[in-house]
Amino acid sequence: MNANFQIQLPDGYTREQIEALLAANFPFKVEEPVSEKWVFYDTFDWLLFNRSLSLHQSGQELFLRTLPDGEVLFSLFITAPPGFSWDLPDSALKNHLGPIIEPRTLLNLIELQMQSCTYRILNTDGKTVAHIIFIEAISTQNSSPITITSYLSLRAVRGYPKHVRQISTYLEQAGFDFSDWEDFYFCAIEAAGIDPGSYSSKINVQLEPGMRSDEATKIILRRLLEVMKANEAGIQADIDSEFLHDYRVAIRRTRSALSQVRDVFPADTNTRFKEDFAYLGKFTNKLRDLDVYLLSEDKYCDMLPDVLRDDISPLFEYLRAQRETVLKGVSDHLDSERYIRILSAWEEFVNEPVPETPEAANATMPIIDLAQWRIYKRYRKIIKDGKFLLEHPQADLMHALRIECKKLRYLIEFFASLFPANKIRQLIDELKRLQDNLGDFNDLSVQQEYLLSIAEELPISNKETRRALIATGSLVESLANRQVQVQEDFAETFTKFSNPKNQELYQQLYASKERKTAS
Amino acid sequence: MTTLALYGNKGGVGKTAAAVNLAYLAAQSGRPTLICDLDPQSSTTFYFRVKPKLKRKARGFERGGRPLFRSIKGTDYENLDLLPSDVTHRNLGITFNRLSRRKHRLDIILDPLRDEYDLIILDCPPTINILAENIFNAADYLLVPLMPTVLSSRAHSLLLDFLKRNKYAVDNVYGFFSIVNRHNKMHREMGMAMFTQFNNILLNPIPYDPHVEQMGIYREPVPAFALRSPAAKAYQSLWIEIQKIVLKER
Repeated sequence: MNANFQIQLPDGYTREQIEALLAANFPFKVEEPVSEKWVFYDTFDWLLFNRSLSLHQSGQELFLRTLPDGEVLFSLFITAPPGFSWDLPDSALKNHLGPIIEPRTLLNLIELQMQSCTYRILNTDGKTVAHIIFIEAISTQNSSPITITSYLSLRAVRGYPKHVRQISTYLEQAGFDFSDWEDFYFCAIEAAGIDPGSYSSKINVQLEPGMRSDEATKIILRRLLEVMKANEAGIQADIDSEFLHDYRVAIRRTRSALSQVRDVFPADTNTRFKEDFAYLGKFTNKLRDLDVYLLSEDKYCDMLPDVLRDDISPLFEYLRAQRETVLKGVSDHLDSERYIRILSAWEEFVNEPVPETPEAANATMPIIDLAQWRIYKRYRKIIKDGKFLLEHPQADLMHALRIECKKLRYLIEFFASLFPANKIRQLIDELKRLQDNLGDFNDLSVQQEYLLSIAEELPISNKETRRALIATGSLVESLANRQVQVQEDFAETFTKFSNPKNQELYQQLYASKERKTAS
Repeated sequence: MTTLALYGNKGGVGKTAAAVNLAYLAAQSGRPTLICDLDPQSSTTFYFRVKPKLKRKARGFERGGRPLFRSIKGTDYENLDLLPSDVTHRNLGITFNRLSRRKHRLDIILDPLRDEYDLIILDCPPTINILAENIFNAADYLLVPLMPTVLSSRAHSLLLDFLKRNKYAVDNVYGFFSIVNRHNKMHREMGMAMFTQFNNILLNPIPYDPHVEQMGIYREPVPAFALRSPAAKAYQSLWIEIQKIVLKER
């Protein structure tokens, strides 16, 4: 913060006290106080905070700093408040920020009014030999402004090191401690009662190996419900595409838990909620598809030959218009009576204590046994199906394998807390590579079909839309070519995934004791 | 990075006042600026309320590097630092003469400072000895204050002749009028004559204004204590013209 020394002042310390303190020993001149608004930003899921970064706007300038030391990494002049990183002016800050937050938008976290008053310390010639700056951070969130913290910053003037030493010694003797201070960021979030990092779409629950399976499963399901509820408002307010994405993942995980974690709840309850969540999942499919197409607009344009690049825009305009209608539908759905009924029944169920004598067969099984059994079974099926696929390449089998991998991934994540974290990370990295390949294959085929169906819907009224049709056709061709490439990559990706070392790791973590001794 | 020398082989024409005020205006516009006081009379140093003293005296200046770096003082204005003068500067020419590359000593010692500053302004004493040649080699441009008088015109002719004879570029020498009294008929006529006689004369003159003399009382650049004075406005216009015509900035 361009300060040579900084002191955090005790609460309630005033300008008058500072002036009295200085007047006794150092002649000074006071400058006009300056007031400036600071706005701190982060994404909904704390992507900056999680990387120990703080972003704030002060005046017309945006600062990206490291926490907790407050070192400025990049700054940038801006004319409008920041939102999506791609809307920022081209700069080093944008290049650094983009990969961290995309496609999330920056939300206004806290606003502070920073009032600073500079005291110039003078020598006998009336020359300024040091600056002492009294800074008050004032929260304006509430109706009456509150000073949340104040600082004294001592800034040296070049060529006058002796004076700074004198002043700092004097202040230390007066009882101030230079080493003990917290960044404005932390003071502000604490004052506002904000808990940084409080939202994450990750499962992060802590399970115990000996826990009853029905109880452990409910812990996971409660966490997933929390994620769903946390994202509802953001979907309706249309802040960015990731609210819907996280919400949908939570629904898919819930469905996966209901079917993969076998026989821990009564069969009729299970069936009922499986149906309910299938309904909830379907409701947002179309909106997510549209989000995906609109987010890849630039990527699609790059795939087109130069002559067609501008012609595709009617297609995206059409998709944007359609998204408006679909969003309205989803928003109404979230307010609908049926939705509220489903969710409150679900909430009641997951919060209900587990019965002492459950009817479901696996309810009281220790969760570690159930986890190992389910994960190992899925893994072996993937290896078997994948090997078959290597010899008989087929599109529908690729899709089926993709679903299997997703189920395995969810199971590994549900029960991650029962196993060593470093090994889980390794497994997930390997699995993710395979999933990416299968996911790309699936996306490319879905996109081709979708574009063709949109082409049928696209109203042809003029020359422009005709050209948009040609461009769409060209796009479908590019996607088809790429799909062939992705399918060819499968062999290599799968062979890597099924390597003996990885197999051994699965066996070590998940094969039950009997199986381990048998093999 | 640009080095501008306020230079002239005639005294009392407003070199120091121009150096101080132009450096101040440059710094105010956001350029990290260093003003070097090369004059043993140390008027620039006095204006900025700094003691005329260099670390390790003349030896520090000869060698450059760390002692020179540590002699730099922050002024009371943002972006503006000062390399103070020292009494030993009266022997600077002799000192340089004893060393190798004797005409390039100033250029050599200023070189490491060029990373830190966007603009270096040299306030030079009125000499035409070896120190002057050091200045010609160190500066990208010479700015010569001219009074519209016969003696000033003659001094400028002599300077240009000297430069040509010693193969220094005269394209980088710019003159501007200083201490002008527009009610004085001789000033007006002499000014016109000098415009036709010399190339590279800037259009914005600095008028005679008592505020310039008051700099000694306030110990501040004119715009810092009398923003609306004729002198402050004239320095501002001159600085704009220098950026456009001399530094060729848009």
